[in-house]
Amino acid sequence: MSRLVHSLENCRVTIKPSPWQEVIPVLPAGIRGIISGLSLNILERLEEIRLRQNKPLILGLPDGDIFLDINGKPAVTPRDCYLVTADDIQRVTQLISGCSLYAFGEELKNGFITLPGGHRVGLTGKTLLENGRVRTLKYISGLNIRISREVKGAASPLLPFIIDQRSGNIFNTLIFSPPRCGKTTMLRDIIRQLSNGIPELNFKGVVIGVVDERSELAGCFQGVPQREVGIRTDVLDGCRKAEGMFMLLRSMAPRVIATDEIGTDEDFAALEGVFNAGVKVLTTVHAASLTELNQRPALRNLLNMKVIERFVLLSRSKNIGTVEEIIDGRTMLPLSGKEAKHA
Amino acid sequence: MLKILACLVIISAGGICGMLVARSYSLRPVELRSLKSALQMLETEITYASTPLAEALGLVAARTDYRLAPLFEETRKELLSMSGCTAREAWEKALLKFYPRSSLIGCDISILRSLGGALGISDSSDQSKHLRLAREQIEAELEKAEISAQQHVKLWNYLGFLGGLVISLIFY
Repeated sequence: MSRLVHSLENCRVTIKPSPWQEVIPVLPAGIRGIISGLSLNILERLEEIRLRQNKPLILGLPDGDIFLDINGKPAVTPRDCYLVTADDIQRVTQLISGCSLYAFGEELKNGFITLPGGHRVGLTGKTLLENGRVRTLKYISGLNIRISREVKGAASPLLPFIIDQRSGNIFNTLIFSPPRCGKTTMLRDIIRQLSNGIPELNFKGVVIGVVDERSELAGCFQGVPQREVGIRTDVLDGCRKAEGMFMLLRSMAPRVIATDEIGTDEDFAALEGVFNAGVKVLTTVHAASLTELNQRPALRNLLNMKVIERFVLLSRSKNIGTVEEIIDGRTMLPLSGKEAKHA
Repeated sequence: MLKILACLVIISAGGICGMLVARSYSLRPVELRSLKSALQMLETEITYASTPLAEALGLVAARTDYRLAPLFEETRKELLSMSGCTAREAWEKALLKFYPRSSLIGCDISILRSLGGALGISDSSDQSKHLRLAREQIEAELEKAEISAQQHVKLWNYLGFLGGLVISLIFY
């Protein structure tokens, strides 16, 4: 018995908080009380907390939104809903920035702040312009706290399609979907598995460089990834994608570069540079279909270059991160399971 | 003999009381001077290094005069506790604890109180303006405090002993 106690004393057990527990501290006491009182079943499925000044508090769940009253019970009529006050908004704005809004100038320009753990808080309000570009956000009146989740194994069905099992190479892969379909979660799991190695596919791990502009992929805190992104992964946190890809290329000799949500012309120009350097690319983009991808001029150029070897379309049809289609970038035809075996 | 002893006790007590009052007059300019340089350090951390407020307060607490360090340290602890309070509330709580132990007076505290309302809620140029304003106000108070110290320190040192002497003479 004493030996058991002794061995337990020597053990360091780290219990990782649930994703919802990581965002609770940025909420004011009133809302914190309302949300903490919900059942674990709801809390574990919580995807979003939406706060709009003088509007009801809305919680986003996979099967729809719920409204709560002041006691944390589902509100039956709009009159019962807890209305978010100006003070609530001001408090959350301060708490998400650690009472240091001055340190988040760039983030405010982009309209979001990322919390430790990779949870993104979107902000709306009055924009102040300078030379026609957004300088900062003032009078913040709306916040959307998006809870990020790690789903280990989410990418397992996809991996045979993005690994060339004959050469052991990775295919240049673009994951696309509308928002809230799990692109970031899927990309994070792909990175983790490719970095660690996959014995079932006889795939040894590769060095992966991640440019995590919004700190969502690796959820870095003071430069150290808080999410599992693999043992051979180097993360450049909070760095602009275009710049970061070249920095990694020059300094860390990655075999794969991964980045989330490419969108600007600058990003696509940088991607071209990476393709020409013989490094493979894993990335995501917002689009609901290939037709939509084609309608964006910069993406059209990328498609015409025929450098993307796999297009992966995600949806929420069964649950978040449902793989709807995997398209071969050379033939532009959907792949089936059989082709994965021969890939 | 007993009377002489009692007189000595009264004179010493009067002297100590006078010295304590004189000390508060002489310490106020010292604390105001330290406060001015602490706010300068805070401004540097905020505007040049964009250091998060809690961390910046910790750095200032470590480098500033030991009499002022608790104000910054307490605010830092409150912010890190993630109890849901804002910077203004954390600063206010720390001020309430700090005030009774300091030599600062009401007008100094009200400068600090209004600074607390602006901490961390705006961009760096705005933060810099608020911190500079507080420093300028403290500078003005410092000038007044130095003049007041020159006038009162000697006065209270003598007044304490002399008061004690007068009382002992009356009762002798």
